[in-house]
Amino acid sequence: MNCSFTEKISSLIDGELSATQAREVERHLLTCSDCEQLRADFLNLRSQITSFETSLQPEVQNRALKKILAGPRRAPARGLQWNFGTQALGFAMLLIVAAIIGFVVYQKSNNQRGQKDVAVVVQTPSPVPAATIEHGKQPNAKESPEPQTSPNKNNEDKSPRQAPNKRPIVREPKPGEQFATIPEPTIPGPVRSADAETMTAMHFETSERLLLAFKNVRLDEPTAAEEVGYERKRAKQLVYQNMLLKREADAAGDVQISSLLENLEPILIDIANLPDRPDENTVRAIRERVERKNIVGLLRVNSMALARALD
Amino acid sequence: MASEDEEFTMLFQDFYPSLCRFLECLLGGRAPLAQDLAQESFLQLHRTAWGTLPVGEARFWLYRVARNMAINEFRKSNTRYRLFDRVVEVMRPRARNPEQEYEVQERNAMVLEMLQTLPEDQRAALLLREQEQLSYREIGQVLNISESKVKIDIFRARASLRERLSKLSGISRVARIGN
Repeated sequence: MNCSFTEKISSLIDGELSATQAREVERHLLTCSDCEQLRADFLNLRSQITSFETSLQPEVQNRALKKILAGPRRAPARGLQWNFGTQALGFAMLLIVAAIIGFVVYQKSNNQRGQKDVAVVVQTPSPVPAATIEHGKQPNAKESPEPQTSPNKNNEDKSPRQAPNKRPIVREPKPGEQFATIPEPTIPGPVRSADAETMTAMHFETSERLLLAFKNVRLDEPTAAEEVGYERKRAKQLVYQNMLLKREADAAGDVQISSLLENLEPILIDIANLPDRPDENTVRAIRERVERKNIVGLLRVNSMALARALD
Repeated sequence: MASEDEEFTMLFQDFYPSLCRFLECLLGGRAPLAQDLAQESFLQLHRTAWGTLPVGEARFWLYRVARNMAINEFRKSNTRYRLFDRVVEVMRPRARNPEQEYEVQERNAMVLEMLQTLPEDQRAALLLREQEQLSYREIGQVLNISESKVKIDIFRARASLRERLSKLSGISRVARIGN
């Protein structure tokens, strides 16, 4: 593929192009199917990479925090595990490992026989099955030495997304819950039309691009006024769409989507109402709100989840 | 002091899991090692730089330190780590049912395998972009490279992964036709 736009498409999906360049690339995408395919492929790659789940356990996280806060130490925690150095210890460790493997294999072969009858295998000391973890109730916070010390550590605490999830997959994995079981994207009970879901997914994607581009506007550059003007125009268009989609999501009882749209709305309105030459503080305040509420991440996860559900 | 600890706790709760994920992807799996390195990075931050760094900078500092540690790990040839990691992985308590666990593992393995085909600098830049949502400027700060290099690295990483995936899907198509 030899199109001169290929590199710019990568920057476009990252929101790293100026308004003028972004417009130019978007226009090009309408006419070049190769580039459109490239963009879709890049987004698909993104979706795969972000779907990676770490196997971190809440207990491990809490232990690590306790160790660090316990005060300065001579030997780093990792060193304690492996800096034994002597061959004898290494050999002993190998023997232990071999014994463990044998034990595990033995146990597995035993388990496999009875597995079909076991509905849920919960061996973790975590008191709550991961699938039921709610925002603001991270299991890791339970054992934290100072759970009350993070009143605003989790922006979702204030967010209306605490409402019961109808679409469990659409949450942005936040610290401590990457390991939460994300249920299969089963089609939820309350039915929203495929059209509405497609519109919502597209709306999320466009809004994400807008917010990324807005994040990258540099006010000290001569083109800043033009860029702000462009983002403002796009925000105006999105505000109306946002309102309609929110109404639709409310009617369908989709609390998750509705609350995300509700969070997005004031931000779009603020961008749409920016003056030609906004002062740095105003722009920074909007950016900080976007960051604090993790809007970009949520939009990304939701648009992907919706797109996946539609597939 | 207490408020410093509170702030540190907040930062830790916010970024420790992401740092673990970043390291895990960078190291090609090896979750326990990734968690140790993430802990070590936070420990260093707490011991040396906390209080002197602006809070906004701490995140970039962490990623920079963690990535350097990961590079040191690449240099060691340490089969014992791998063996130990494998055992810990097998012993890890599972909270999902076996099918879900299998699916997640398959997906993770595919992502890791895919990422391992990239040079380390491209992989780090791509991960910081896709998983951590850093801007090119921020990635440049973390990796200590220019913004234009970040842009090129990310583009090349994507292009190379895309090519690889299209080849793979071509092979599987041929295999299906063959059957």
